[in-house]
Amino acid sequence: MALVYGILFLGALVGIYIFLYIQNKKTPVPKGCENLKADCEGCKITSCSLRDKKLKEEK
Amino acid sequence: MNRFQSFKNGLLKENPVFSLFLGICSTLAITTSLNNGVGMGIAVICVLVMSNVIISLIRNITPDEIHIPVYIVVIASLVEIIQMLIEAYAPALNTSLGVFIPLIVVNCIILGRAEAFAANNGPLDSALDGLGMGLGYTLAVCSMSAIREILSTGGITFTNMFNEDQVLFSFQLIPDDFTISMFSSSVGAFLTFAILAAGVAWYKARDAKKAETKEVK
Amino acid sequence: MFGELVGLLFTSMIVNNVVLAQFLGMCPFMGVSRKRSSAVGMGMAVVFVIVAAALVTYGLHYLVLVPLGLDYMDLITFILVIASLVQLTEMFIKKTSPGLYKSLGVYLPLITTNCVVLNVCLVNITNGYDFPHMLMYSIGTPLGFALVLVIFSTIRERLDLSDVPEFFKGNPIALVCAAIMAMAFSAFSGVI
Repeated sequence: MALVYGILFLGALVGIYIFLYIQNKKTPVPKGCENLKADCEGCKITSCSLRDKKLKEEK
Repeated sequence: MNRFQSFKNGLLKENPVFSLFLGICSTLAITTSLNNGVGMGIAVICVLVMSNVIISLIRNITPDEIHIPVYIVVIASLVEIIQMLIEAYAPALNTSLGVFIPLIVVNCIILGRAEAFAANNGPLDSALDGLGMGLGYTLAVCSMSAIREILSTGGITFTNMFNEDQVLFSFQLIPDDFTISMFSSSVGAFLTFAILAAGVAWYKARDAKKAETKEVK
Repeated sequence: MFGELVGLLFTSMIVNNVVLAQFLGMCPFMGVSRKRSSAVGMGMAVVFVIVAAALVTYGLHYLVLVPLGLDYMDLITFILVIASLVQLTEMFIKKTSPGLYKSLGVYLPLITTNCVVLNVCLVNITNGYDFPHMLMYSIGTPLGFALVLVIFSTIRERLDLSDVPEFFKGNPIALVCAAIMAMAFSAFSGVI
């Protein structure tokens, strides 16, 4: 029984995460903050959502 | 692209730790003894190869908008499995590595390779890339832990990972009175890392210079 | 009791500093320490996310996972909770407070895979802290991180102007500075 709860629980968490991820991407950035830049050269955190923008700029 | 060449690059020139500065946290923390270094290296190789293969297999069915959540879930599950295996078969390693086994999830090397390589390449190439990068990490961790263990305790004692009482080999280079205990603390970790990273930068610069002079000729 | 709690706060903040004694969060420590203003922003974001994540994961562990006999799933649960929480916070700030977004927004997404956050959540459980101890540990650790990050960024601003040996430029010399800082901070272990 615990296994079923475990799978359900995990599924719910993954669902919540993906839902929030998509919702967050849809939410527009407030006015005046469109071109914010973090001064973070050298940071290797690849899941950072700023990285896509940065990579595009570099190209 | 020559597969062997890219494999070799991962070891030294594009070493994930000293040259790309990925996964520094665990490198600094667990390199107090060669035992830890080898154990951590093997764990990272396992996770990296498996995550690269799985992500490369599912790369065509992963929706583009949510690829990062999917990668995180895959990697976290793999690390959970590895952690349970280590806990069961190598309990001594588990206590000495402690929280750094679960922290492999957030090790930048793994997510970085998943995104940069496995997401665009076939499973076989991805497995090789994972192996190369993993070996590069292991090489870095082992060299650093060997230096630190010799300087701080005078020699190396390497025990069997699955049975801590069985000593595989041990030797003493520096007499006990002349060891530098600082190298087992955080100060030594930062210093060793800085010097090794500078060494790799020197090697890269020398190599680039060589290539340049060759072209001129 | 009270003295012990304050002691834990300062131990986790200074003596057992996450960066200099436990080597966690090296990525942002090396990457976001170029300018003091960004170091302050990152520090505040980390404090906020860690306190929130610690509260949620602590609650989930003792109220959901343990009663269901699922406590072996700690790791994967925590990483998902942290990742969701960062998304939720970012979305919330975007919608409600553009001013706060201006100063913190850039640094929030950086935190998803920050090992400091995951470490605090895991240590709260493995050390078996009760609620007040958990709170003190979860506040002290990120404060220590922010403190060291801001100090380090001021050092690096000066470092840019100084003459450094060729192969030590960039990250290696920063690590040498970190070593000296670690030496200074280890002296606090006698005080507390």
